[in-house]
Amino acid sequence: MMSWFHRQLAKHGRNLVIAVPMIWLIVFFLAPFFVVFKISFADIARARPPYTPLFSFEDGRLLIALSFENYAYLWDDTLYIKAYWSSIKIAFWSTVFALLIGYPMAYVIARASDTKRNLLLMLVILPFWTSFLLRVYAWIGFLKTQGVINALLLKIGIISEPLIMLQTDFAVYVGIVYTYLPFMILPLYANLTKLDNTLLEAAHDLGASKLMSFLTVTLPLSLPGIIAGCMLVFIPAIGEFVIPALLGGPDTLMIGKVLWTEFFNNRDWPVASAVATAMLILLVIPIMWMRRAAEEEVS
Amino acid sequence: METSPQLHMTQLDPSTQKPWLNGDVKPFIRIRNLTKKFGDVVAVNNVSLDIYENELFSLLGGSGCGKSTLLRMLAGFETPTEGTIEIDGQDMSHVAAHERPTNMMFQSYALFPHMNVAKNVGYGLRRDGLPKAEIDERVSEMLKLVQLEGYGKRKPSQLSGGQRQRVALARALIKRPKLLLLDEPLGALDKKLREETQFELINIQESLGVTFIVVTHDQEEAMTLSTRIGVMDIGTIAQIGEPQEVYEFPQTRYVADFIGSVNMFEGRVKKDSPNAVIIDSVDAGIDIHVPHGVSCSPNQKLWFALRPEKFEITATKPKATKNVIKGVVEDIAYLGGQSVYLVRLSGGKLVRTVRANRDRGAEKPITWEQTVYLTWAPSAGVVLTA
Repeated sequence: MMSWFHRQLAKHGRNLVIAVPMIWLIVFFLAPFFVVFKISFADIARARPPYTPLFSFEDGRLLIALSFENYAYLWDDTLYIKAYWSSIKIAFWSTVFALLIGYPMAYVIARASDTKRNLLLMLVILPFWTSFLLRVYAWIGFLKTQGVINALLLKIGIISEPLIMLQTDFAVYVGIVYTYLPFMILPLYANLTKLDNTLLEAAHDLGASKLMSFLTVTLPLSLPGIIAGCMLVFIPAIGEFVIPALLGGPDTLMIGKVLWTEFFNNRDWPVASAVATAMLILLVIPIMWMRRAAEEEVS
Repeated sequence: METSPQLHMTQLDPSTQKPWLNGDVKPFIRIRNLTKKFGDVVAVNNVSLDIYENELFSLLGGSGCGKSTLLRMLAGFETPTEGTIEIDGQDMSHVAAHERPTNMMFQSYALFPHMNVAKNVGYGLRRDGLPKAEIDERVSEMLKLVQLEGYGKRKPSQLSGGQRQRVALARALIKRPKLLLLDEPLGALDKKLREETQFELINIQESLGVTFIVVTHDQEEAMTLSTRIGVMDIGTIAQIGEPQEVYEFPQTRYVADFIGSVNMFEGRVKKDSPNAVIIDSVDAGIDIHVPHGVSCSPNQKLWFALRPEKFEITATKPKATKNVIKGVVEDIAYLGGQSVYLVRLSGGKLVRTVRANRDRGAEKPITWEQTVYLTWAPSAGVVLTA
């Protein structure tokens, strides 16, 4: 005879398990987003917090003052469009480079012997043990005019005067690709390590060369890994702030930097919120598209 | 079944039906002194083997006997440590897997999960760069052969185990290989389906005239399918022969034991004459009379092997005086068509006998704890010296 508690547990157990992460997401993601979303419809004000209230009561009636000016402003001032476009461009090419570098690395790790594989995986994860900020600073030491790379190239005699690498878009690409490479390698590795070797033997047996069996078997089967890796690089790279701030120059335009300036330098919370909301919408589209592509691949 | 003119029919001429008995026929596959070592482990040890055109040859053995390694060397997935493989007169030493005139059907089928059935089957032809129209035609021809017409658009995940097995077979056959290698082709199917598929496999093999080499651990499968069986034991071939030959005339205790079940009586040569031998067997508790000569020395240790179905089991003492053993029925297993009787001999040995159930319930059935007599025809057993 089951007790009432057990019956309820059996009935709702599934929902209970799902409820925990759901509550987490609502409290720490959805609720803050709605706060930001709300502020994006307000006007700037000399107050604390520095924006006008959306809802007010006057004579017992509820007044809602929605302002779409902030979004219109994003559209009118070319700075924002340029920043979005530049962010997408930088994130896109960084993702492409990370994929081109990360795929062969993941492939080699997945095919290595057990002992070697653990060592290689360790080396991929090792940078996470030091602070992200420190690692970006280390790149300054490498890339600056009197830095390690220039000193080396001058010594060998390949160049006669130092290259200017720091505070350029090049440095931003280097920083983003370097930082996010493990996020590309790990999902690719997880995918490639599952690949059944007999499939490659079958392809080989049916007349496919090594390259052909890679192109017709390995590559299409690793597509979910490629999509996951690209999402994990592309999405944070779009909103990246620290890397362009430290390695980029004054012309490096990225939306993360613009957001920072609006919030902390201009103290224009409503416009900053509009920037953040627009960015989120911008990101949701590729995520949805990639998820659909991944689902189609599975079915 | 209707076959297209491209798939050439091979009519087996009785005189060439057993080319291994005819010294003039050139073997299609010549394996000479083939050895494969993985580190210190010798997987295949100095194997020499001839296989003839249109044969359905089975490599039979337990796990780790080297049968799969031998097959993989034929396919080109493993490089021999020593020795040579010749297929149709061509040395395969420096021919890569994708250039060999062989195709393989994998135990796991190894169907490409991201391609539909038609794409899987046509894969080998696409690699050869054939025109699309011809590929489509040959794919549908193949799907017809394995009775999977209309399944072209399905993904492997949407098929049953038996259907996947057919797709794998079609994919391996579409390039019209000279030699098809099959690694446990029926291993993943359930018993009933396996029996049906066995005969289908034979039909396809005969209609296409392709030489098949099948690796299997299932002796029944090997018996049903094969023209000849090569029984393998720890990297070497223990015996090669036609199914009946391997079953009725095993050359070693390993082969006798591996193919079917057998009762083994250990003994010593008591009397050795040119056309009769008497073996003193403690196991049997009697002297075993064998009506033919055996090349052995006096007092040599040897074994008398007798299949369970060769015994005559009776409740009353038979008239014969030679080769009669008395025992007590310890266990009976009724299997429908036949019954298995486990009989304990006075010496302690347990003997397995099988009797066909010809009547529906005999008047006085042999039952548990009953004393019975076991006899056999003089030539029913095999004397083994190794």
